[in-house]
Amino acid sequence: MNILTRIATILGFLGHFPAYALAYLIETLVVIIFGTVAVAGMVYLFRKYMARVQIRVGPNRVGKFGILQVMADGLKLFQKESIMPSGRDDLPYKMAPVIVFIGLMMGFVFIPYGPLVWFGNLTVTHSDVSLVILFALIAIMPIGEILSGITSNNKYAMLGALRGVAKDISFEVPMMLSILSVVIMASANVSNPLDINGIVQAQSIPFIILEPLGFLIFFISMTARASFSPFDMGESDSELVTGNTTEYSGLRFGMFYLGLFGTIFLGSMIISSIYLGGYYGPFVGYFGFIWLMVKTLVLVIISLTVWLTMPRVRIDKFVTFGWKVLLPLSFLQLVVAGFLTLGGIS
Amino acid sequence: MIEVKEIKPPRRIPFFGMISGMFTVFRHAFQKPVTVQYPEKREDQGDRFRYRIYLSTEDCVGCTLCEQVCPNLSITMMMLDKDNPRNKRKIYPSVNFGTCTVCRNCEEICPTDAIYLKGVFETSRTRNSFFYNPLELEKNEEEVRR
Repeated sequence: MNILTRIATILGFLGHFPAYALAYLIETLVVIIFGTVAVAGMVYLFRKYMARVQIRVGPNRVGKFGILQVMADGLKLFQKESIMPSGRDDLPYKMAPVIVFIGLMMGFVFIPYGPLVWFGNLTVTHSDVSLVILFALIAIMPIGEILSGITSNNKYAMLGALRGVAKDISFEVPMMLSILSVVIMASANVSNPLDINGIVQAQSIPFIILEPLGFLIFFISMTARASFSPFDMGESDSELVTGNTTEYSGLRFGMFYLGLFGTIFLGSMIISSIYLGGYYGPFVGYFGFIWLMVKTLVLVIISLTVWLTMPRVRIDKFVTFGWKVLLPLSFLQLVVAGFLTLGGIS
Repeated sequence: MIEVKEIKPPRRIPFFGMISGMFTVFRHAFQKPVTVQYPEKREDQGDRFRYRIYLSTEDCVGCTLCEQVCPNLSITMMMLDKDNPRNKRKIYPSVNFGTCTVCRNCEEICPTDAIYLKGVFETSRTRNSFFYNPLELEKNEEEVRR
């Protein structure tokens, strides 16, 4: 029994169709709230972890252990005046942060969350091509970044957007090819290899063991997708003030900020779903969701460690790396995945 | 002839430097923070730490040496009607802590040890009220709080 039928049974007095419609609505709202809370938790975790790495204490004044600090920052962003540049292209300028945020939040819907004790399977919705849909949704986010860059009438924002585009097109191809090798391996075992749930179910051996190279490529790509420190050319806060978000303030800036942290969280969930076995673990029928969260948290900590360790790569070096290293390696991974699948190892 | 041995640089494994750097960063997260949560906890200042200038108007003879030696002109002499037979001119130093650099020249040069410094450092003030007249210099920090 999954969460949808659980809610629909509770709402059964409304009749069949209204109950299911309302259940879908409630489920979607819960996922949006979960996404927002997770992203806020990510911000808190990042600040605390960064402080601990730098042998500081971190936020500890607002609430117990500073837990409410993120909420206080959000309230501050709500209250701030939205200062807009003159000469902007008004509609795309205002749309850009919303596009980034919506692209992120819709991505949360297609993750297979797995079962949790009483609630049953928490997966919101699934489709036979949910992997494709998910990556299409994630690919919406750069559009927001590009729009924000070219419409704010600011040279730094423009340069940041150009760098962001150069970065995006150089890692998207290896990322999709490494996904393709996962799909090839999953297709040997399940009938719906383009469904993330199917990929999770295909992993009797987690794919990280079978294709470590693909995992590395995909991890690097998700790092670049979230655009944090080794690959934050779009932001480049020491050269271009803050890159494409330079002219944004208040809540619009907050949306970009949440987009960054949300991409780290979403990316970690995707990686743990398609490479680390997703919600599989001991007592999967009861604690599947917990396993997914544990794997995600480990990946988030690794991502944050990468963020805090590495300096920014120069843009031309990253483009070279993307086209001359990652792309051949992902083709190699594709060939290896084909051999493994034909050999019946997966 | 001395033979110079050629030392080859150690061969580095790719990515190993990154991984070890990341491990170092991760390990730092378990260290004790160096930050001291100031108003609740205080660090030891050290025995020779001095900040606040005190004045004993009983001992001051009004020789103006402290005013002359002060490098920032933070000390200016001030008339004060006080019954002190050793201070005939009735002038006493007043200190502007806004410009004081705590060089302790005044303490060193004072012939009667009337000016002395203590380790009190919480002298925060509102606006431009860093100026202490001789009577305030005599009091403790809590009493002159304004």
